[in-house]
Amino acid sequence: MAMKKKRYALVIDSRKCLNCKACVVACKAENKVPVGHFRNRINEERKGEYPTLSINFEPEQCHHCDEPSCVRVCPTGASWQRKDGIVLVNYDECIGCRYCMIACPYDARYFNEEEGVVDKCTFCVQRVDKGEVPACVETCPSKVRVFGDLEDPKSRIRELLATRRYKVKEPQTGNGPQLYYLL
Amino acid sequence: MHETNWGLLIVVYLFLGGLSAGLFFASGLANYLKVDDKPAYARVARMGALLAPWPVAIGSGLLILDLGNWYRFYKLFMHFRWESPMSIGSWLLTVFTVIAFLYLYSWLKEDERTWIFSKIPASWKLVHRLNVDISSWRETLGMIGFPFSIGVGIYTGVLLGAVSSRPFWNTNLVAQMFLFSALSSGAAALLLAMVLDKKNPIEKHETKFLVTLDVVFISLELFIILPYLIHGELSTQAVKQALDLILGGPFTFIFWGPFLFLGLLVPLAIEVYELFPAIFKGREFHGSRNLALAAASLVLIGGFLLRYIFVYAGQMSSFHSKMGLLQ
Repeated sequence: MAMKKKRYALVIDSRKCLNCKACVVACKAENKVPVGHFRNRINEERKGEYPTLSINFEPEQCHHCDEPSCVRVCPTGASWQRKDGIVLVNYDECIGCRYCMIACPYDARYFNEEEGVVDKCTFCVQRVDKGEVPACVETCPSKVRVFGDLEDPKSRIRELLATRRYKVKEPQTGNGPQLYYLL
Repeated sequence: MHETNWGLLIVVYLFLGGLSAGLFFASGLANYLKVDDKPAYARVARMGALLAPWPVAIGSGLLILDLGNWYRFYKLFMHFRWESPMSIGSWLLTVFTVIAFLYLYSWLKEDERTWIFSKIPASWKLVHRLNVDISSWRETLGMIGFPFSIGVGIYTGVLLGAVSSRPFWNTNLVAQMFLFSALSSGAAALLLAMVLDKKNPIEKHETKFLVTLDVVFISLELFIILPYLIHGELSTQAVKQALDLILGGPFTFIFWGPFLFLGLLVPLAIEVYELFPAIFKGREFHGSRNLALAAASLVLIGGFLLRYIFVYAGQMSSFHSKMGLLQ
């Protein structure tokens, strides 16, 4: 049976974000992220002073890039990418040199001191492989996040990217990030 | 948030790796240069050979200790990933260390070898079979080692320079900068060791050789640092912002004061002052012991500071737009 090609990505409508951090907590609970570390975060930016003030919240995590520099620099192949685009760490192969953390333009990785390995957002592969969506996506109360398969022409994510304007962060690093921020 | 992942151990390792590369290069060159078919600087070559493998061996040890799982370091050698500078580097480092130790062995005198093997139990016959004279290999080992020493010297820069997400590093000049800094540290360390070795006082022509070598390497390093700054300032905004770290930012003083002035310009001035009369006025090279000591020490400090500044400042530089947590 021929498997259909998949390419997972995340669309983020950051204007809907309330900074409630439910995504951060859901991720920690789902993936048992150690205390003091996070796999996703909400960047905050304030412009101006009251009354001419704007505050912008922007969730961010691993961009699961097309050309991930973390995978390229890894000396043992512990950082790797699945065919569906998800970038993972093979914990048994990771020697903890942290070169990938330096190579990541998005600061998406953290060092698990206890295990001596690097860890990161996995797009909740354990859920995605069962046909579910990542925990951060499921939990978001204001529906900021849309997870989906870019290869599937009928997906919501394809529709959004076809009909809305969007940006990706720091495309000049050449990593081909797959977190799409709607404008 | 942005944190420093590579700390002082990495700085020390990059310095020691470069130092070994420089020592080997200087020693190989000293052995290669001949007058009347005899090495003109045999004592320099021997001292360099005796010193060369140790820094890199210690440095590799530190590198392994810095790993999250140090006992997994063998996995580096279960893979060869040509896209990963660290993978190429660890192979390069291993081959170079082996060559450097062989080269050291080829420079040992008969009685030194006998002394070493007298410490090994006589029943270990296989080990005692290694007690052979390989002094005829010196030149061959030196020749094989040359590209590897340059490789190790340049690799320490490539390790940083190949990281496209750090604009402070990601220029095509960092690799050469580290290479010439490594070669000059090697020449300086050799000079320091020869001057401090009171049993075999250094001769003037040897001082002159090492000082000349160092002047050449420091000048080359300067010729790379200047375009690094100028070109960076003419580059994209991210690179300019990264350079702000040494042009007004937290690393400004240490870059311009201790590194550039004390670690580069002052030793260059001392060494040129020493060489100038000998080269341009036809006078005898005076070869002051104290000046040689001062210049060599300063070069070594400068070499260390260069790596310190680059490792730390580089990790602070980023393409990431500055959004953080609100206070």
